[in-house]
Amino acid sequence: MHHLITFACGAGICLASASALLAQDNSSPEAQAKIEAGESVYNNNCENCHGDQLVNTGQTFDLRRLTAGDRARFDNSVRNGKNQMPPWKDVLSNEEIDQVWSYIRSKAYQK
Amino acid sequence: MKRSAFAGAMILALSGVSSLAQTSQDLKAAGGTTGDVLVYGMGYSGQRFSPLTQINKENVSRLVPVWAYSLADLQGGEGFPLVKDGVIYVTTHNATVAVDALSGKQIWRVIHEYPPETLRVVCCGIVNRGAAIYEGMIIRALMDDRLVALDSATGKEIWTAKSPDPVTHANGYAMTGAPLIVDGVVIIGVAGAEYSHRGLVEGYDAKTGKHLWRLYTIPAEGEPGSETWEGDSHQTGGGSSWVTGTYDAELDLVYWGIGNPAPWNPRARKGDNLFTNSIFAIRPKTGERVWYYQATPQDPFDYDAVQTPVIATINVDGNPRKIVMQANRSGFLYVLDAKDGRLIAANAYGKVNWADGVDRETGRPLTTDVFKGALEGRTVTVWPSVSGVTNWQHMSFSPQTGMLYINTIHVGMTYQAPEPPKLAPGKPSGAGTVKRTTVTEDPNVRGFLKAVDPLTGKSKWETPYRSPNFSSTMVTASNLVFTGVMTGEFQALDADTGKILWSFQTPSGIVGQPITWERNGKQYVTVMSGIGGVYAQRAGDPNLENLPTGVSLWTFALFDK
Repeated sequence: MHHLITFACGAGICLASASALLAQDNSSPEAQAKIEAGESVYNNNCENCHGDQLVNTGQTFDLRRLTAGDRARFDNSVRNGKNQMPPWKDVLSNEEIDQVWSYIRSKAYQK
Repeated sequence: MKRSAFAGAMILALSGVSSLAQTSQDLKAAGGTTGDVLVYGMGYSGQRFSPLTQINKENVSRLVPVWAYSLADLQGGEGFPLVKDGVIYVTTHNATVAVDALSGKQIWRVIHEYPPETLRVVCCGIVNRGAAIYEGMIIRALMDDRLVALDSATGKEIWTAKSPDPVTHANGYAMTGAPLIVDGVVIIGVAGAEYSHRGLVEGYDAKTGKHLWRLYTIPAEGEPGSETWEGDSHQTGGGSSWVTGTYDAELDLVYWGIGNPAPWNPRARKGDNLFTNSIFAIRPKTGERVWYYQATPQDPFDYDAVQTPVIATINVDGNPRKIVMQANRSGFLYVLDAKDGRLIAANAYGKVNWADGVDRETGRPLTTDVFKGALEGRTVTVWPSVSGVTNWQHMSFSPQTGMLYINTIHVGMTYQAPEPPKLAPGKPSGAGTVKRTTVTEDPNVRGFLKAVDPLTGKSKWETPYRSPNFSSTMVTASNLVFTGVMTGEFQALDADTGKILWSFQTPSGIVGQPITWERNGKQYVTVMSGIGGVYAQRAGDPNLENLPTGVSLWTFALFDK
């Protein structure tokens, strides 16, 4: 749930902060279903190294550190691999990667 | 494969070493030798007991590091060190090294390459648990289902062998365990029950790498046991074999633990799911399965029975009897007759609620409503969790005290199996097929090191740890138990009381396997440090967040004034 959109108002114009607009709204049943689907994909493919509920000992990247603006970087790393991580583009569909992103963002430090 | 330039300079210096062959007879005697450590588990029995006594309760406080060696690796350091003629051989997932045992200087180092895609089917730690030594060769498995034999003096490759079809990472197979060599046969298992494979154990000729036999752990259509699987579920039935077994020369039997059924979700594989979660007794020359004992039929909870069966002769009802002992992941400690697998004892050695006990006549667990609920898809609270009361970490057995020294896990879980997935070889079939959350009684006591009576399961003492130890234990004739802690402490405990007598902070968490050996009249203790493996990577233990990583090899001895 993210309702902390802040507004800067002046001269009759209000601007929502860019980061808040990028934030994920998890309140709808559809969003919840997507997060649950992402959790299943994560547990099947990612948990091995990134840990249950995204908690690991520091051997791999702490995915909770990803912010809303990191989506393109995330997609690139997952699809093409990074460091020890193999590429997943031949295994996971774009929809599954999107579901995993939703799951990760639901547990992020910075919502 | 790359070799360091340094290796060449050492070849001449060590050429005399390679001429000292490690024959089958040497390996059979390995449990009693103290200068060399030639067999995984410190001897074929897997007892991890040493007769050495120079380091004892009175002087262990003077134990200091002699040297440390960097393996230049950020994955888990689970390897079992071998020692032969003053040289230590250790492995990581992508390296094999030879190190001078007294100085810690590198003699040779070989880097092994494997396709990055391999790691898609390595569920439980990017690791290797060790090598075997035979007639001047260091023989180990590689992640991508190959065995390689290296010249122990130079690291030069002598032979390499790929496991025949269908063993590929695409079909859900990987190799992380250490081989066991018996009478010239290299015996190795596979990981991958979380990826819908059909498990197996196999044998290779140690001299040439020729494939000799394969024993599938899951029956083919129409074979005995296939009737214990629903529909065609046996085709992707799991039954991995990722932890090294033991050998009894008198009975000529290898004992090997077999892993969980696939998928974890049990709802589409009704039946006993033979021969998952079993202990096998195997004829090493042929791969014939002489007997089996299934611990957990139709397992919903990933309770592999891969824990190394430890061989000993103990008094049962006043008579000496040769037995195998397994501290099963399910929470029950099994004692079986080594000759025929007959059940002698099975008692809980940790918190268990999925079964009330084990029927002495049938050998089957007396399951509770928790187990039934899990099969029906209800949400249940289960002890132990999927991590088990133990996992792969090895216990030790002291013939002097008659006790097992077991690093145990004290964590439960909520569990629910939703609609089961449709599987295909190589497709994930583990954690994503069920829903779980972690349950603890005390979040800061998630494990104990216990001294356990094998016949009753009762503890003589229990030493608590904030997170469970995934290091193996080793016990000496001076009644010291050595183990490592996830946060890096290498420790010696009093085998009689569980009191921590000595502790040394290594640079990373310890998930390795301590050994002890002697040279020139001095006793040494060696262990790998380097956090990683199944619990560190997967369990989500908040007590272990953001630990320092990096594998290193440490050797300790008493400080000389």
